[in-house]
Amino acid sequence: MSNNIKQETPLQYFHKLSSHANSQRAELFNGEVEFALVVKEAPISTFLSLRGNGADNAFCAAVAEVLGVPVPTEPGTYHSSKEASIYWLGPDEWMLFSSMDASSLEARLRASLSGHIAIADISGGQTLINLRGDQLALEVVLKKSSVYDFGAWADASANAGRCVQSSFGKASAVVANKSDGSYDLIFRRSYADYIAQWLLHAGEEFGCRIES
Amino acid sequence: MSQINRLNTGARTDSTSRINFTYNGKQMQGVVGDTLASALLANGVNVVGRSFKYSRPRGIVGHGAEEPNAIMQIGSGAATVPNLKATQVELYEGLESASVNGWPNVNFDLMSITGWFGRMMPPGFYYKTFMYPAKLWMTYEHFIRKAAGLGSAPVQDDPDSYDKLNQHCDVLVVGAGPAGLVAAREAARAGARVIIADEQSEFGGSLLASINSIDGQVATSWVDELVAELESFSNVQTLPRSTAFGYYDHNFLGILQRRTDHLGISADSGSRQRLHRVRAKRVILATGAFERPLVFAQNDIPGVMQASSVSTYINRYGVAPGNRMILFTTNDNAYQTAIDWHRAGRAVVAVVDSRSAPSGEIVAVAQEMGIRVIAGSGVIEAQGGKRVRRALVAPLNGDGTEITGVVEKLACDLIACSGGWSPAIHLSSHTGAKPVWDETIIGFKPGQSVQKERSAGACGGTYSLAGCIAEGASAGAEAAKLAGCGDGTVHFPMPQIKEFSEQPAQALFLVPHTKATSRAPSQFVDMQLDVSASGIELAVREGFKSVEHIKRYTAMGFGTDQGKLGNINGMAILANALGQSIEQTGTTIFRPSYSPTTFGAIAGADVGALFDPERYTAVHRWHQEQGAAFEDVGQWKRPWYFPRGGESMQDAVNRECLAVRNSVGILDASTLGKIDIQGPDAAEFITRMYTNSYLKLAPGKCRYGVMLKEDGMIFDDGVCACIGDNHYLMFTTTGGAAGVLAWLELWQQTEWPDLQVYFTSVTDHWTTATITGPNARKVLAKVCDDIELANDAFQFMDWRDGTVAGVAARVFRISFTGELTYEINVPAHYGRHVWEALIAAGEEFDITPYGTESMHVLRAEKGFIIVGQDTDGSMTPADMNMDWVVGKNKTFSFIGKRSLQRSDSVRKNRKQLVGLKTVNGTQVLPEGAQVVFDPEQKIPMSMQGHVTSSYFSSNLGHSIALAVVKGGHGLLGKTVYCPLADGRTIAAEIVSSVFYDPKGERQNVE
Repeated sequence: MSNNIKQETPLQYFHKLSSHANSQRAELFNGEVEFALVVKEAPISTFLSLRGNGADNAFCAAVAEVLGVPVPTEPGTYHSSKEASIYWLGPDEWMLFSSMDASSLEARLRASLSGHIAIADISGGQTLINLRGDQLALEVVLKKSSVYDFGAWADASANAGRCVQSSFGKASAVVANKSDGSYDLIFRRSYADYIAQWLLHAGEEFGCRIES
Repeated sequence: MSQINRLNTGARTDSTSRINFTYNGKQMQGVVGDTLASALLANGVNVVGRSFKYSRPRGIVGHGAEEPNAIMQIGSGAATVPNLKATQVELYEGLESASVNGWPNVNFDLMSITGWFGRMMPPGFYYKTFMYPAKLWMTYEHFIRKAAGLGSAPVQDDPDSYDKLNQHCDVLVVGAGPAGLVAAREAARAGARVIIADEQSEFGGSLLASINSIDGQVATSWVDELVAELESFSNVQTLPRSTAFGYYDHNFLGILQRRTDHLGISADSGSRQRLHRVRAKRVILATGAFERPLVFAQNDIPGVMQASSVSTYINRYGVAPGNRMILFTTNDNAYQTAIDWHRAGRAVVAVVDSRSAPSGEIVAVAQEMGIRVIAGSGVIEAQGGKRVRRALVAPLNGDGTEITGVVEKLACDLIACSGGWSPAIHLSSHTGAKPVWDETIIGFKPGQSVQKERSAGACGGTYSLAGCIAEGASAGAEAAKLAGCGDGTVHFPMPQIKEFSEQPAQALFLVPHTKATSRAPSQFVDMQLDVSASGIELAVREGFKSVEHIKRYTAMGFGTDQGKLGNINGMAILANALGQSIEQTGTTIFRPSYSPTTFGAIAGADVGALFDPERYTAVHRWHQEQGAAFEDVGQWKRPWYFPRGGESMQDAVNRECLAVRNSVGILDASTLGKIDIQGPDAAEFITRMYTNSYLKLAPGKCRYGVMLKEDGMIFDDGVCACIGDNHYLMFTTTGGAAGVLAWLELWQQTEWPDLQVYFTSVTDHWTTATITGPNARKVLAKVCDDIELANDAFQFMDWRDGTVAGVAARVFRISFTGELTYEINVPAHYGRHVWEALIAAGEEFDITPYGTESMHVLRAEKGFIIVGQDTDGSMTPADMNMDWVVGKNKTFSFIGKRSLQRSDSVRKNRKQLVGLKTVNGTQVLPEGAQVVFDPEQKIPMSMQGHVTSSYFSSNLGHSIALAVVKGGHGLLGKTVYCPLADGRTIAAEIVSSVFYDPKGERQNVE
């Protein structure tokens, strides 16, 4: 594909939008106000839905081989490397996040896997944002957004974080904690506008800006 | 007016400060630390409201959530809040307050002068007076509400914002008095995640008004140290100004936190109130107790107050609300109020003690101060108008039921009362725990726990300070252990506390009068709703026996205070009238909310743009830029039509429909549900879900299918494509997407787990641009050079992978318009790029974006149904004239097949899909219009069917409609009639449901 093909991330139109309790909602960042929360959308990446038997060692080994990341079989966990992450979504369901091209990743997986599996490219339908900032602000915004008990998560280590697919406002998201204290959120494109507005509202008391 | 009742002491107020506020338009001053109630009392305000039914003047009685009278309207304009209790409103600069009752004002009330209105309202007045004639109720109601008046709601939008937090903890402590504070400290020390909430502005509970010393320091410093220690724990969340208003199943509690109410309107940032939705492993209720009022004649005159409240105003707020006080008590505990009053330098006229020989330590202390104690007596009546002027005191017999001697008149301006204490068992009651009467404390205690909770301190009937602290400590350690933290050992060092040992209290629920209850001046039980002792006795005479019925008949406990003061007395009076014990009578069940909760907080942030998610396609911004009008389809916003210039909707739709049939149109079809289906048994599974078979569908091919529920009725429809071996893509309707996926999962997981198949929603992944019309191929050819597009090479109901505008795309040749159509699917981040490339490529053909309205018209011209519009869950494929889609020879059954053979499914006169052509082609039938055969018949007419879809067709030049008509498939050519609500009757002919291109030739453009 040629370079002049325009791609749009789901939050493209929210780039540089911000909210702050001490100023009206600003179109652009105001250098004078502190933003305790920063939402940063990842560049367009590959997301695959993977289904298969997590109890099958050969299946797990093959996936790990292709992605360079072990398959998490412990509920509510994810494994990641610089290039890829695998999120546990169910006993037979994972979300794969990768910097590799979607079709070649799918082809490599299909070549190494056998039996009853499913791989679906959902790259166009997902986005990943990183939510970083003041710990209290993060805690409060997550409590506003989801019924899940994020406080029960012990501190994240470098490669084995926690993740959960739960409600987020009136939409849903996969939330994962990162070793730097920030959180990654993955949600569906069609809900992106709603979630962006939700985050700006929820983060207003702390100051929140979006970088896309 | 100056603060005539302000003392120079006051543990938690700063008497040198000044806060300006207004009450009913009058400028007044209070001090930092005041509540509105303490400030009003400091200013000598006697009357704060008029009573609900009788319009009697009422004054402040209590100091917290129990206050029945001081109900205020706070603020003005959009931010006004009705019905707040002055005892719970913290004073701030510029606060505006007004009484909610009384017309034209509280001091001059027309209602009480005329006086007739109250007499019109005996217990059960709604039932008795206004039953007939029913049509006058609206008149009555209007008048009653104006007269009673409980504040006014703002008419503008609420300018404040609200939010909700989902909280989780090991131990939730409700109440931060001595028991709660110590419990939280113990649980926190054991490592538990603790939340402690208290409705007051600061923690400490009763200790904030205590002059006791703990470990040699004043109680409030002991509290300060404990609160500081709690706040030093990282595992503790402290929530002051936070009321736990409801205790629900699974240890879920609602807590309302007032974040900025105490700051006034100057606080314009952040949420005003926050609703904490708390899920706790263990709950400790340390909600304290309410002092019980004494019921005597005219006990509602301003100046009759709760004894503990008088002490609180003196000790916490530095306010002595009067000059000459009589204390009326049944117990030792309240003597503290006489001592406090004496120390404040004001006159204690007497302590009237109902017990014949009070002999407790504290009684002796009071007597040593020179305070007169009148034992074995009661205040039988208060006298005065807008303020108490004197008390009638009479000797009582041993059990307090009869007057045994001469009535003495004592001048006073304050009667402080204490009938003992009632544990605040409200939250425990919410859980369904049945309260238990305890004779030793003369009160209801929390019943056996039904959830993971326990009560500690006064709410469990433990009233000594040392007892509360000990119970709190063990409850905290125990709760932490049960939540998995610590071993349950108590580490808290018990402090040294000097407390008086108390003699037993007396149970006195109704003070006798020289006249019978029914003749005596009103003895009020529930002040907010004007329920008197005689009213309860009257209800019993009228035959009511159950406490729940009495509550509803008299309205006792129905006010915003939920009868926190009056209920126990009322139940005891009822028990007495019924000649049974309180235990036998039982209590009404307290239900949420404990105190009024704002709707704003319950709604939280889910208002305005965040009320419900709006789902957008990747092309949404382009549609907006083109000025599209949008339609809601489920949560999706879809372009409805694209008006140009000053076009009306009909003009735009006419133009769009003509463009599709004459050249080419483009539709954003991204919202259609798309489910990726993979697995060795995928074809078999799909074949069981649809009425037709997919076993022989080859890769590259598509098939249209209809799904039925078990009852044989159409539930969804769409195209399913074979992508490869064991790999399919199912399209669903936009609104049905989630339901279909859940339906597939349901059958796979519960009925056919043996079938190996996985489902994945890929709706969001794809942007779908549908180009349709005779020039569609020419447009596509300009941006796609790797798919052989010739009519024979890429046939109708085929799909191909290729490259469109430089992007890997999947193109389906399927059609919902009857024209040559390509549905071009690309990953959504390329959506806008490909869309704009198609618009550019189509420019020479005047490619026309069209919306859902034109889509509906175009498919109706072809007689294609829309599930949910032309069907309503009671239509079979045969009803829709779609028998062709039902596979009769499938080896395995399909869902709904058997139901198609039911006698009702095969009966001849079922409603069947037909076309309607109005006799006058310019008339467009309204959708939903009823179809009759004889328009002259009498109403109710025999209805033969109804119109499901109706439009003006610009391509045909006349209106078209789809309808379901009984036996319609056999009625072609018959004229039917649609009588309309506006009196017109429109005649139409039953025709084929396919209006346009009946042979389906148009999609085969060469």
